[in-house]
Order: sequence, then structure tokens, then C-alpha cells
Amino acid sequence: MLTANHIHELYRYRDLILRLAWSDFKLRYKNSALGFFWSLLDPLLMLVVLYVVFTNLMRIQVEHYQLFLLLGIILWNFLDRGTSLSIYGIVGKPSLVQKVYFPRDILVISTCIMALMMTALEFVVFIIFMAVFRVLPGMTVAYFPIIFACQFLIILGLSLALAALNVYFRDVQFIWKVIVQIGFFATPIIYPITIFPENVREMVMINPMAQIITMMRDCILYRIGPDSLSLVYLAVSSVLVLFIGYLIFDRLEPKFAEAI
Amino acid sequence: MAVEVEHIWKTFQIPHEKRTTFFENLMGMMRPNNYETFSVLKDISFQVEAGECVGIIGDNGSGKSTLLKIIANILRASKGTVRVKGKMTPFLELGVGFNPDMTARENIGVYGTIMGLSRREIDERIDDVIDFAGLYKFEDTKLKNLSSGMQVRLAFSTAIQTDPDVLLVDEVLAVGDMEFQQKCFDVFNRYRKEGVTILLVSHDLGAVRRFCDRTLLLGGGEQRAFGETGEVLDKYVYCRSESKDSSDDSTKESGSPKRWGNQKVTITDVEFLDKFGIKGLRVNSMDPLTVRIHYYALEDVSDITFGIAIHTEDGRHIFGTNTKIKKTPLRVSVGGGYIDLNIDHIPMLSGKYLLSPAAQSLDYITTYDWIDKQFSFEVIPTSGDAGMIAISCNWIK
Repeated sequence: MLTANHIHELYRYRDLILRLAWSDFKLRYKNSALGFFWSLLDPLLMLVVLYVVFTNLMRIQVEHYQLFLLLGIILWNFLDRGTSLSIYGIVGKPSLVQKVYFPRDILVISTCIMALMMTALEFVVFIIFMAVFRVLPGMTVAYFPIIFACQFLIILGLSLALAALNVYFRDVQFIWKVIVQIGFFATPIIYPITIFPENVREMVMINPMAQIITMMRDCILYRIGPDSLSLVYLAVSSVLVLFIGYLIFDRLEPKFAEAI
Repeated sequence: MAVEVEHIWKTFQIPHEKRTTFFENLMGMMRPNNYETFSVLKDISFQVEAGECVGIIGDNGSGKSTLLKIIANILRASKGTVRVKGKMTPFLELGVGFNPDMTARENIGVYGTIMGLSRREIDERIDDVIDFAGLYKFEDTKLKNLSSGMQVRLAFSTAIQTDPDVLLVDEVLAVGDMEFQQKCFDVFNRYRKEGVTILLVSHDLGAVRRFCDRTLLLGGGEQRAFGETGEVLDKYVYCRSESKDSSDDSTKESGSPKRWGNQKVTITDVEFLDKFGIKGLRVNSMDPLTVRIHYYALEDVSDITFGIAIHTEDGRHIFGTNTKIKKTPLRVSVGGGYIDLNIDHIPMLSGKYLLSPAAQSLDYITTYDWIDKQFSFEVIPTSGDAGMIAISCNWIK
């Protein structure tokens, strides 16, 4: 469990966590000539397609829709990438599970950190876009780290549960793919939350990812700070997701080396 | 105490039908899935003092590696506790986490971190590692472009940079050529001198004899013996073969039977007796061995000589003798009996040897019975000497 003791142990292994994340990160881009531009191309292409479709065909009226869309895609990609890479975090490294010992959540944590690094690159592109479209963030951008940290905790919690379950049930990876696919459309990424009537809106906002994306847009693009209730809801739900993730992980962890 | 193992049990449950997906589990809810429970370790308890080197030996499947993995915290015991004091490093496999697409230098970084080195230690020692592995020309070459020998050297020279309090070693010595093994021995000696506690799982009984103060013998998951290495090894070498010999008649090699003769006298069995007079298939190098040939005669025969030939596994004839050469005239009378050949000491260093017993007339023209290479025994090395045969010798300064 996530006790003070365990956190201390993770701190002792910080070198390992970072080294694993960094080497995975480098490997991802090493074998392609254009390096990490390929990974930036992916959200940008998606942006172009969605932008063309939704501004011309659906006629969505949103201020700074390009940035609105790009931010949503980047944040959703972070969740998608973090969890789908972490699913293989344990089963994809059998020798690290069967031949040496370190706290196994390190494998998942380092994968999530690698996803974080990739997202950081995408944010660089986002900042360039902001400059191009002359959008300056206000003071409310100070909320960014808090919201972003909550998102990281949620991704880590989900990843821990998924990575552990995938050791025993190998189809979790396929099931999760479908869930992420549905989630993309159930979360206000390509549309603003305001397209829903009031009562549906509340249901959609139960999803912490909907909270995150809406709050992020407000504080980065529109200079609106999040209301404290939503912020508390987000903080509580992200800690809860992490807690449940650890609960599942710890329950399944002892037999990893046998079941892998 | 550096390592304390108390009443360890390990049972694996092997389902009759393996369900690896959520879907299969859902479908299988209706039908109960039966489990086969299999105990790999049964009530193992022992203690290792700090600075001691303890060997763990036993047949394949006796639970050695499982025990080591439980001590390393990779597997969890079903019952019992393990306590390890200090920093522990397992050498269960060399080059864990090596990535073929990274350069030698990067791999040292990752592998070193996995083995518990800090970033500063790695930065300090990385040049030594590359030097020791003899790879300074290839430090920026991708691992997949290095030969497997280079990869092993790289892994080994990285692994030995760790400074553990407790070292767990599983058959690492078995890989690599002679020179590499010698390097391994040197390193383990260095570790021993530094007071590192070592647990060594090995099939190489010679290495165990040389290195280990005490030895744990496992058999079928049970703790057969734990004590001074020499005694435990004797127990393993001799008792084990006794039990094996009585349970099945494995002295006879399978394959096409090669036997000829007119059967006037038949050789019914050959037994190998060790220095304690116990039947067995194994003998320590330089220990005495008695070959007992059982025969059955249809009539009284005085024109007879018994002989043996010893071949290596690859068919090289290394020794042969008979009663005529040794000027031991004999006659056999109707019925069964046996004749012993006492060998003062087995001069072979190690390996498996095939034995052919024969009964012939004194002029070798008539063969009564000849069983070609159908019996075998194994010689267990007792020293570090290299080669085929033991030559008694001393160095004098």
C-alpha cells in the first residue's frame, strides 16, 4: 500500500524510476529518422482533421477553437498513452519481474513518467500555437500544475490497476482500448460542455477527465479560475482512483512472477 | 545472521485448464476449474552467518532456484518467513533489462541502476566497466551489434560493480568459457574476502566444494541435509545414486542393445560400489570404486576370463583389463555368482563413462557374453584441476 514506508522506498529507487523512464523515452524516438516529430505529428494531424470537420460541417462556435481542440487532444492523449503503455508495463518486461526484485510499481510509475515526458513535448507545441494565435494566458494559469498533478495521479491509479489485471487477464488490453475510444467521445474534447442541457451536463462532469479538460481550458485559454467545489471534487476523485489502483495492484502483485 | 529462512513452504497451484483472459474466466464461471497442488518446497529452515558462503545443491526440480527466488523476494513463500539483513543483490541472470537497441554505455547505466548502483557510482565506474569488458572501442555501439560474448562480458563487468552484503547466485558460472569462469571465481573470491555473504546454487559440485563453507542439500523439495560442505556433498553423491539405483535400473543405457555371445555364461548385472560399499552410479574423482560383475553359468567352465572396458561418452576407449591380464585364474561352477574388480582410485576428473563387461574363453576365440557399453557411472570433480585425468603432483618452491 502507499504508506510512508513505501514512499520512502520509492524515493530510494528514484534513480531507477527516472532511468527506466528516460531510456524508454529515448528508445521510442531513436529508431525513426525524424525522431520525436513523428509523435508530434499524431496530435497535429488529429487536430487538422477534427478542426476541419467540426468548424465546417458541425459549425461549432467556440472562441479559439484550434487551441480548445488541441489542448483537449493533448490532455486526452496523456491519459490514453499513459494507460495503454502501462498495461504492458509488467507483462512486457518479464525478466525485470522474474530475475530481479524492486518494488514492482516502479515499472508502472516509470512508464507513466515516460508518458508525461511525451506530453511535455506536446505542450511545447501547444505553447507555440498559443503564440501564433496570440493568446496570452492570465494569472489563472497558476492552477495548471495542480490540475495536471491530479491528472497524473488518475493516470497512475488506472495504470496500476490495468497493468496488474493484464498479468492475469490478457484481454484487459483490448477491453481498455474500447473504453478509451468511448471515453474520447463521452468527454468534452471536441465539443464544449455547454452543448448539453443542464441535467446531462452534471452527469458528464462526474467523469474526472471532463473536469480536468474543462478546467484546463478555462484557466489557460479563457482566464477563468476553477470553482473550489470542482477543484475539491477533482482532488478527492484523483486520490481515490490512485488508492483503488494501488489496492488492486497490491492484491495481485505477489504472484506476478508466477503468472507472467 | 545475514539470512534466516524459517519453515518455508511453497506450493504452486496448477489449474487443469489455464484461463488467461477475462473472457475465459467469464465463460468458465459455470464449470469449476480443478487445481493440482504441487509442493515445491517443504519446510525449509536454515541460517546463514554473515560472511559465510553457502551452497545449495540438489537434482533438477528439487526446488533450488525456487528457494533462491523466494529469498530474493521475487516469489513469495506460501508459508514461513525469510529475513535478509543488509543489501541483497541477486545474480539470477546476467544482463537483466538489457536492451538491444541501446548502446553499450546506456545499457550499463540501466543495468547498473537495476543492480542497485546510484547514479554517481555509475558515472564514476562506467569507464572501468567498459575497460574491464574490453569494449572501449564499442561503447557507443548498439548492443544488438555486439557479439553474445561481448554482451556477457559487459553484463558481468557491470554486475560485479555492485557491493552487496548478500549475494544470491544461480548458475551464473555455468555460462561462458573457461577463462570467463575463472574470472567469475576470482570475483567471488574477492567478494568472500570482503565479507560478503554468498548463497550459491550450482550443479557444479567441484565449485561448491571449493567455495562453500556449508551446503544445503535439497531433494524433492525437502531439506535433506545442511552442514559442512564435504559431508553434504558425500551424502549427495553417494546416497542419491543409491536411491536412484534401487528405484530403477538405470545402469543399463537405453538404445539399441549391443550384446553377443553364446550365453554359456551370462552376465546378469553390473554394480558399482563406492568407498562405503554402497551401490551407486556416481563416484568422486580419486575415490575408490568396485565393479561387481554378476554372472550365471549353465555349466562348470574353467576356460574363462572376465574383463571390462571403459569408454568415454564419445566412444574413446580409455581402459580395459581382464582376469587373464591380471593373472587371476578362475573357474566358475553351475549357478550364479559374482566377481569384483577393485579400483584403488578413479583417475578421471569428471564426466560420464561407459563400461562393457565381458566373459570370454582364455584364447578370446569364444565369447560367452559381451554387453557393449551398456553400463555407466559418473565421476564427480573434487578439485579445480582441468583436463581429463588426475595426475598426482605438488608444486615446490
